[in-house]
Amino acid sequence: MDELKKIDVLFIGGGPANLAGAIKLKQLLNQKGINQSVVVIEKAEKIGQHHLSGAIFEAQVLNELLPGWQDDEEDKFVTKLLANRIIKDELYLLNSKNMAFRIPDFIIPASMHNKDAYSVSISELVNWLAGIAIKLGVEIYTGFAAKEIVVENNRVKGVKLGDKGLDKERHPLSNHVPGEIIEAKVTVLGEGSAGLLAEDVVNRFKLNAKKNPQIYSMGVKEIIKLPEENAFGANRVIHFLGFPLPSDIYGAGSIYSMRDNLVAVALVMALDWRYADLNPQQELQIFKSHSMIKNFLKGGEVVAYGAKTFPEGGFYSVPQLAADGVIIVGDAAGLTNAKKRKGLHYAIKSGIAAGEAIYQAIEKQDFTTQSLKKYHDILNESFVMKELYASRNYRQIFTRTGRLGYYLGAPLSFFQSWIPHRLSTKPGYEGMRSVQLKRQPAGGIDRLTAVNLSGTTHREDEPTHITFREACQNESCNKYFGCHPCASFCPAEVYKFEDDKLILSPSNCLHCQTCRLKCPRQLIKWEVPEGGDGPRYKIM
Amino acid sequence: MNYIVLVKQVPDIKKIPEEAWDWEKGILKRGLLDNVCNELDKQAIAFAIAMRQVLQGQIVSLSMGPPFADAVLKYALSVGADTGVLLTDRKLGGADTAATAYPLAAAIRKIEKDIFNGNRDYIIISGMQSVDGDTAQVPPQVAEDLGIDHIAYATSFNIDKNNHLYIKRITRRGTQIVSPLTYPCMITVTNWTLHPNATFERTRWANSQRILRWSAADVTGDESRIGLAGSRTTVFKIFSPREVSTRKCIFESDLAKLAGLLKDAYLSKSKSISQETAKVTYQLPAGKNPTYTGEVWVFAEQEGCEINQASYELLGKARELATQINTKVGAVLVGLSNLKLQNSLISYGADKVYTITSDQLDDFQPVLYSRVFCELLDKYKPQMILFSATPLGRELAPRVAYRACSGLTADCTSLDIFDYKKGTQDYIAILKQTRPALGGNIMASIITQNSKVQMSTVRPGVMQALKPDEKRTGVIIKYEPALTEADITVKIISSEECPATSELKDAAIIVAGGGGCRTKEGFVNCVPPLADALGKFLGEKAMVGASRVAVELGFIDRSHQVGQTGQTVKPKLYVAVGISGAVQHISGMQNSGIVLAINKDPNANIFKTADFGIVGNFEELVPKLITILNS
Repeated sequence: MDELKKIDVLFIGGGPANLAGAIKLKQLLNQKGINQSVVVIEKAEKIGQHHLSGAIFEAQVLNELLPGWQDDEEDKFVTKLLANRIIKDELYLLNSKNMAFRIPDFIIPASMHNKDAYSVSISELVNWLAGIAIKLGVEIYTGFAAKEIVVENNRVKGVKLGDKGLDKERHPLSNHVPGEIIEAKVTVLGEGSAGLLAEDVVNRFKLNAKKNPQIYSMGVKEIIKLPEENAFGANRVIHFLGFPLPSDIYGAGSIYSMRDNLVAVALVMALDWRYADLNPQQELQIFKSHSMIKNFLKGGEVVAYGAKTFPEGGFYSVPQLAADGVIIVGDAAGLTNAKKRKGLHYAIKSGIAAGEAIYQAIEKQDFTTQSLKKYHDILNESFVMKELYASRNYRQIFTRTGRLGYYLGAPLSFFQSWIPHRLSTKPGYEGMRSVQLKRQPAGGIDRLTAVNLSGTTHREDEPTHITFREACQNESCNKYFGCHPCASFCPAEVYKFEDDKLILSPSNCLHCQTCRLKCPRQLIKWEVPEGGDGPRYKIM
Repeated sequence: MNYIVLVKQVPDIKKIPEEAWDWEKGILKRGLLDNVCNELDKQAIAFAIAMRQVLQGQIVSLSMGPPFADAVLKYALSVGADTGVLLTDRKLGGADTAATAYPLAAAIRKIEKDIFNGNRDYIIISGMQSVDGDTAQVPPQVAEDLGIDHIAYATSFNIDKNNHLYIKRITRRGTQIVSPLTYPCMITVTNWTLHPNATFERTRWANSQRILRWSAADVTGDESRIGLAGSRTTVFKIFSPREVSTRKCIFESDLAKLAGLLKDAYLSKSKSISQETAKVTYQLPAGKNPTYTGEVWVFAEQEGCEINQASYELLGKARELATQINTKVGAVLVGLSNLKLQNSLISYGADKVYTITSDQLDDFQPVLYSRVFCELLDKYKPQMILFSATPLGRELAPRVAYRACSGLTADCTSLDIFDYKKGTQDYIAILKQTRPALGGNIMASIITQNSKVQMSTVRPGVMQALKPDEKRTGVIIKYEPALTEADITVKIISSEECPATSELKDAAIIVAGGGGCRTKEGFVNCVPPLADALGKFLGEKAMVGASRVAVELGFIDRSHQVGQTGQTVKPKLYVAVGISGAVQHISGMQNSGIVLAINKDPNANIFKTADFGIVGNFEELVPKLITILNS
């Protein structure tokens, strides 16, 4: 049976990049009648449950992967997707709780327009892709979390899975299954934003030399069911700058229409915010209390909640993406466009490129860096790297405008591509200062209720997946910042303090990793929990 | 030895997405729920795997369901089963328990013939019940169909050096060790271990295996026994038990007054059931004949040498029903019978007592009990039989119902007589049987059809017994079936009585503490003493619960946790001390009868789910309240 743990191509993470990669690879192999095992493992209990995105999707990228995909009128997902084409695309500036100004289309850069893209649920998208992949012969196994990368003789040999069935003290229970080692000729890391294995590979093989450190934003999102008669309507997206975020936070709000009177309401913010007591879930409630938004959402009921981080360092933060036996794709590779605030189509394109490169490597039976670099070549030639290059200093502009934020950043960003050199970035956690927003409650739903709506679940007696590199001296955070930042910035109330004593609730975790990226003293260590645990997103 | 494990795919009722509820219509859209393997069936697989380690043999997992139900069979394979069989056919859809048991039994015969090559040395293992239907009826009915024994509530097993199998199981009064004397036999397991986890390796192997798919025609030629046509019960109404905002919190700072209010509310809650139902009167529509005729029977369950309280409750209900439809109440006593028992049944409302006696009936033997019960039933033709939903009742009633070709509704919480029209079919003076389903998330009203007799099991403690009337008179009717020692197929090795392990989920009163207690001392000094005081004050046993935060802070161990990741409780009185009322906690206690909240924050969420509230510092309030309750 040991043979079952040896795989030809192993994809870690069942997201859009990896599924596209597995599909592309299997298509090419099937065409030539080559039999190679292509396996995707995913830590969620079911495909799509750990996937969250805006999402506005530039679906043209599917034409390359699945020609004629639009013609399948029987397919429920396709019909739904096509019905959600964006017709109305607006941008507003909110500069107080009651004021809103529409920003005219002509001053918005063309690349930031969303018309003719589609509003989509990424959970549903990956489920659709998974169905296609399985039909092609891709094997998908859910509920398995890859915990470590296995390296031998300087080449990636596969991954080690996490144990299942340990108690809080890591003693084996009666149903203990030790983490197995799965070997593969090529391991593709598509773990998503801030992927731990990808980070490990980048560090081990020094793939980020002369690059900016990756920087991140985080977003909180609710799905709201509106009444039949509502002010928002269908086929519409609106983005909002300003309220409630102070001008020095790089972020925005949005409302996207989805099927069946559902809307996705989200607020994203760059992790380099200064405010020690910023609570993203609460900010989203404040956003919803703006008179314009309130009117749109009248009579609505929140049916789902989630949070995620996403990389936005852009061109200069993308590391080398191939080494011996390994390729990194999608969000894990940092392939998102901060200007467009999109990454879904890049993820899929990177998967396609990986699939093609691996296919060629299989033909040559050469899985060295040299051979897998083909992936880079394909990516460099594609719109992904071209667009990223075109906005290479865009995000960095906004880290330099201080309190003026958008007001200065937006006009300046028109000239970013003229800057001849690389503008550097700093990790978001360095931005934390001893200043507070001191928000008043704005109604809406409280954080624990929101957590409940994410469906997240972890076995209560499993070992905690959140630990501290050294004893977390809470008093010192309190002394320095006047509060405990983690108690606020975690969108799932994993960190709570009673009389300065930390009460950790790892079972609330949404796997967004904001804590790991934002802890001002970088003490929080986040590891992947037992496979099958975590949020249960359905329409995120 | 070989094994057949029955597994079922069920909706995940622990995580119902908000979108799946339609509160206006009171329905739950099942399509939006995740499908998972029934938890107890996972335990059944673990049981089979553990047995196989000693007795060798192969494990076949069998399921009935839509094509995508093969996921549970793949799971079974991934943790240790050798073969998966899925009975899937549109014709099998819409089945009640009898119409499920029939094709499953047929499939088991086919497995015996095709896979085990006629070898009858096998054990059928299944979870005690599924979380969706929660009836625990299918396994005993499968056993009845196959004419084999059923060992229910198994918690562990032992195999001696002669390869004899001993099963430990839970009974109403403690535990028992029994040994099957013939094979095949059915074992249903309750929570006994952790569910098995799959390795990647074996999951990948399972994925490569083909699941055998059998249609209805592959196993049976009789379409009248399957699907909707073969069902003997039908759900005619589903509604929501959610009492949205019916609670209005009364804030009371005078603790003595509060204690009085609490007692009044508590007592009226206990009484309300009987008062409500007592005022219902049924009128037979003019010119119509009742659909069912005959007496109303109650199975009189014995506990030691006494009739158990739950049977008296049934007699109270039976009396009320019989009066409405103008018939007699019969109590059926199987096994030990004496004048004292008979008289007591009559004094609690029986008009007739049927006794079935034989040396072989002294201990509960499922096969024999259902056989003799059905012989009696055929002779006297009652229209209705009520059983208590006790372990014994839930084991016996399904077998009797199956044997009598009749419908059975499990675990009813309300029974009424009414008329019902379905299409051209008029049902007159029939029994409306209402019960919770999907883990208490919905209520379903059910009627019996295509049956000789209407049968229900009734949740103990829901109906109210009448005051015994020693002057009542009744008739004793004796039946002595001819049985021999050879009819006994399960040997009872030993029985052990132990006080019922008090479980939080069955407690009448729960006092729960939260993070607001701040320290372990605060918790220990307040919560258990308050529970004791309230228990004495209201004359019932009170238990201690806790919120997740309290458990996390180490105030008490996890077995006391109430809420989403702990236990779901429904006591008559729930007291929340220093619990803020996060939705995760509320979901575990919202079905409680009366809720009293003590919290320093007047805006705490818990007050929205409370009937009574005290705002203030628990360290001062609780000791004062205890003193008042004790005096």
